[in-house]
Amino acid sequence: MEKIPIDVMNPYLSPINPILLPHLTLILFAIGTFFTAWFFVYEVTSNKYTRDLLKEVSVALVAAIFSGFGILCLLIWVGIYV
Amino acid sequence: MKLVLENYLLIFCIAITACDCNVSPYLKIVNVDRLIDISSQIVKVTNKITFQNAGSDSVSHFVFTVDPKVIDNVAVIKGRISDLDVSLSVSEISVENRKAWSIKFENPLESGKFSTVDVYYAFIDYLKPYPTKITQNEKQFVKFIGNSYLYIPYHVSKVTTSVALGTKNVESYTRVEPVSYSDSHILYGPYKDLKPYSFHEIEIHYENNAPFLIASQLLRKIEISHWGNIAVEEEITLEHTGAKLKGPFSRYDYQREPESGLSSVKSFKTVLPAMATDIYYRDEIGNISTSHLYNLENSIEVELRPRFPLFGGWNTQYILGYNVPLYTYLFTKGNNYLLKMPLIDHIFDNMVIKEAVIKIILPEGSHSIDLNLPYNAERLPDSLHYTYLDTIGRPVITLKKTNLVEDHIDNFELRYVFPKIFMLLEPLLIIGFLYILFLTIIVYVRLDFSLSKDEDTEQKLRVCGLCSRVINFEHKKLKLYQSFEDKLSALKYNKDLNSFSVNVKSFNSEYKSISAQLSELIAKLKTESPDIYEKVSELLKLDKQLKEIYSQQQTVYVEKLIPGKINKASFLELENGFSKKKEDNLSRINKLLKSIE
Repeated sequence: MEKIPIDVMNPYLSPINPILLPHLTLILFAIGTFFTAWFFVYEVTSNKYTRDLLKEVSVALVAAIFSGFGILCLLIWVGIYV
Repeated sequence: MKLVLENYLLIFCIAITACDCNVSPYLKIVNVDRLIDISSQIVKVTNKITFQNAGSDSVSHFVFTVDPKVIDNVAVIKGRISDLDVSLSVSEISVENRKAWSIKFENPLESGKFSTVDVYYAFIDYLKPYPTKITQNEKQFVKFIGNSYLYIPYHVSKVTTSVALGTKNVESYTRVEPVSYSDSHILYGPYKDLKPYSFHEIEIHYENNAPFLIASQLLRKIEISHWGNIAVEEEITLEHTGAKLKGPFSRYDYQREPESGLSSVKSFKTVLPAMATDIYYRDEIGNISTSHLYNLENSIEVELRPRFPLFGGWNTQYILGYNVPLYTYLFTKGNNYLLKMPLIDHIFDNMVIKEAVIKIILPEGSHSIDLNLPYNAERLPDSLHYTYLDTIGRPVITLKKTNLVEDHIDNFELRYVFPKIFMLLEPLLIIGFLYILFLTIIVYVRLDFSLSKDEDTEQKLRVCGLCSRVINFEHKKLKLYQSFEDKLSALKYNKDLNSFSVNVKSFNSEYKSISAQLSELIAKLKTESPDIYEKVSELLKLDKQLKEIYSQQQTVYVEKLIPGKINKASFLELENGFSKKKEDNLSRINKLLKSIE
């Protein structure tokens, strides 16, 4: 493999600016918590005749995505560089 | 002494007959200035050598040797052009089956020309404490045994050797005339016209309270995270290799008398990179609180004080770790990465590392690893490291090197390929875990563990389910009406009957499908709950009325307004009537919907 000389390379910058981490964590977690709450409220209030599987699955997915990225940001923020 | 000299002469004669072609017979040394620094635990020797090429051909390199008894103690050897910061390439060779070094001139030395080079080398494990055991209040004395000449396979015209002691307290030193002693320096020579491989042993017995501290074990872990961090952690075993402590240790004397325990190590300074953050200093018990941090202009200095002072023969272990932002050492181009950082770093001044193991932990999924080292080191087999959110493991490169000194602090270059998509693996793992949790709940709520069915509540639930579906459909219908309303008002302005009729068709078909589903539900409701059924049929009636109003409005629009068969005043009157009826109807529908809920 051909070696790329160092002078054409750039210093590596991480995809998330560390300054933004606390804000990102809070925002993502807020959205994630909202959807999680919605999911659970829906699960408790609906009965087997009113339940809609598509709605449950989609709310759960959105909740998982936001909470997942929120947890990742939290981990990096506190210094667990995964 | 004479015997030794003769011995070396003999070797020289053998060398001549063997004719080693590495050693050019025409190369002569005009002058050598030697400076031997023995003030610390490391013996640092700088030879300023002026070569002359007395032959007719140019010479590209010269051979450098060290007296065979101590050659294995050489930790580092460097060549450079005197007074210039241009280093010369040094390679290890073998001369007469013995280790030697070949050092290249920057440009081949032409016939009759001179060249001055500096050869620097450092011995470790060289100075021997004498006496080998001292009490707490005694000073440490060591013995240095060296060569007042230069052990080299060339004829030397003139050599002077200066020994820097770093102390005025000298017990004894070998006298080889001419010799002079002044203010912590001993000057041997100049000696003239020395044969190749000249050797004259000198012995200096002097006070040396410098810390004889060595790191007998160093485990340095460098962990790369592409989320922006390099975590460095060093596990170090320190040992005091000076004169051993004889008798008891008194903490009281140690605190009170400044002269007590001069050769012991109270604390030392470690220099860290300027960008280092989150520095921790601990051992297996926990945090060691006796450390101080100094922020300097281009480095960070940590003053570390072990849990106890180190006397001769004592040792201690500790862990020092810190984080460095990734951009200081990692360079990138596309998916190719280059990590350029020190293989080992400063631990304490005049440090000696007996054995260093360096582990470089790369992010998960990196491959095509290519390592470029500043000096030779043994590469142990690659392994895998598992930590948070790892699946296939992080590749680990392990290196091992013995006998390191400060001159070994140099950058390595590690190239690897890391597809960026692998960074998504970690968040996806968390998301997947959470999603499975949610799905478990979805499955759980569907499980029914009841033994008998309660028909009453079952019926209630069923009715409730039907009602919510009725409400849903009604809401859909209301939305449909709203869009129809929009289309009517659009028609009022653009008067485009063609597109309107298309819209009306789609509206009608949607309306029909919803109505069909609704009537199906209502049929079910009739059997389940007559009470609710009444309300829903009322709702349907109202809905029909509303639809009627809309179709009336449509006829007015299509048949009268567009062809222009109606004047403005009467149209507005009609329009007002429609909207009033609609509002009235809608409010009643909403009231009913609320009551069903």
